Amino acid sequence: MSEAARTTAERRPPHETDAEPLICVRGLEVLYGGRMILDGVDLDIYRGETMVILGPSGCGKSTLLRHLEGLEKPSAGTIRIQGANIVTASRKELLQIRRLMGVSFQSAAMFNSMTVGDNVALPLREHTDLAESTIRLMTKMKLQQVGLSGVEDMYPTELSGGMRKRASLARALALDPEILFFDEPSAGLDPIIAAGIDQLILRLKEAFHMTIIVVTHELQSAFLIADRMCMLDQGKILAVGTRGEIREHSHPRIKQFLRRVPDELDDASSQYITGF
Amino acid sequence: MSFFASVGRTTIRQVEYVGGLAIQFWHGLRLSVRVNPFAGRRLRWRRTMEQMAEIGARSLPVLCVVSGATGMIMALQSGAELRKFGAMDAVINLVGTSMTRELGPLIAAIVVIGRSGSAISAEVATMVVTEEVDALRAMALDPIDFVLVPKYLAMMVMMPCVTVMGVFSGILAGGVFSYFALDITLMMYLQRTVEILLMRDILSGLVKALVFGSIIVHVGCLEGFQVTGGPEGVGRSTTNAVVKSIFLVIIADLVCTAFFYFFWR
Repeated sequence: MSEAARTTAERRPPHETDAEPLICVRGLEVLYGGRMILDGVDLDIYRGETMVILGPSGCGKSTLLRHLEGLEKPSAGTIRIQGANIVTASRKELLQIRRLMGVSFQSAAMFNSMTVGDNVALPLREHTDLAESTIRLMTKMKLQQVGLSGVEDMYPTELSGGMRKRASLARALALDPEILFFDEPSAGLDPIIAAGIDQLILRLKEAFHMTIIVVTHELQSAFLIADRMCMLDQGKILAVGTRGEIREHSHPRIKQFLRRVPDELDDASSQYITGF
Repeated sequence: MSFFASVGRTTIRQVEYVGGLAIQFWHGLRLSVRVNPFAGRRLRWRRTMEQMAEIGARSLPVLCVVSGATGMIMALQSGAELRKFGAMDAVINLVGTSMTRELGPLIAAIVVIGRSGSAISAEVATMVVTEEVDALRAMALDPIDFVLVPKYLAMMVMMPCVTVMGVFSGILAGGVFSYFALDITLMMYLQRTVEILLMRDILSGLVKALVFGSIIVHVGCLEGFQVTGGPEGVGRSTTNAVVKSIFLVIIADLVCTAFFYFFWR
């Protein structure tokens, strides 16, 4: 590909190219104890884009993420990652697909019985045959990538919330994943540290062209990092589009969400936004 | 109608539980075979060693005291009855065989349940609640392989060891009783005990120790993995692990004892 052609291709947003979507969700339904959590979700996520899944608390966005990560099996529907259906995949296939993914959990989910360095090195030690010295070096590099240094020998409980979150990001990046999942990256962090995490996500996108999927209800952060967004409410997707498209969307529920208008008190669905 | 419905539901739940245990047991067994200290996977081996220290070495003081006390109680109680028949030296047989075959493994199991069974379920449940188990799965690591297998291997090695130590301290306590009540020296007492004990007694005790150890680890882990309801669930799963382990250990003891009684004489 010539230099000029590549720049044009890069300039076009991923969803406008005619490439196959990297992740393709069709008719996803999730039932928990008779309650419909996800109701017929269709979603395409393309290589190299940052997709933000937005929605009020309890709308099913974390559930959607857990299904995309292959941690749970849906009641109906398909999820294809690079063409492989992870709903029907065997254990072995699923393990292979998971090697493409890095996941940063809401609670950071660091192993408290291991040092931060061991936490980050764990995927390398388990999945590669690298020498111990190489693993140490890579661990250091990954931690530096997220702006942490000199914490290898500390335990996760000795770190602050923001540092823990960054360390868990370093662990998610350890195997150079193609897809990075983020569950509420700024939950429980102060605005300055949360902004730092946003910057980190933007840097990762630029440097590694990773496909990043973020679940959040923080509007500011969502509009900063997203290429495209998807608005979820009561288990259904209301809209998928670029930042501008979502901002100008005419759906009353999206307008309400973006303008932070509370529900009417007698509205039966008021329980869904009491968290705000 | 609702009576039958609730009986049915409870039965299904219990069958499901036993089924869950069986699946986990099989899965754990298959993965245990693959742990090789000499090829890669250093981490797994290190964790196994840590667990061995926790399950084995650190439970010894309590276990020896409890087993010793039980041995002494056995000697005193049986001595009081046997005196009536003038068969005091049968105390040696009684303490020796009942400790090796029965009480040694059982008391070791109960001490290990109290120390390690509860700790295992609390640890696993906390890992579930703090998403650490999800993190393992997302990293393409099997939680059974990573969490259960080191504990299981450690238990399989250490449970027979602590049982032997418990049995020994129980028999020793019987010796102290004999020294005062029967006027025989400790050496003579031990010699008698060795004469009385058959290989069968010792082996059946060790088989029991392995069975009890499996139950403790698997019930502890299963209770942990099945935790629901956040941090409060951790306490609940710990209680459940202890209660169910003790229950299952005693049932398993009965089954083993009956089996040895009928098929291995």
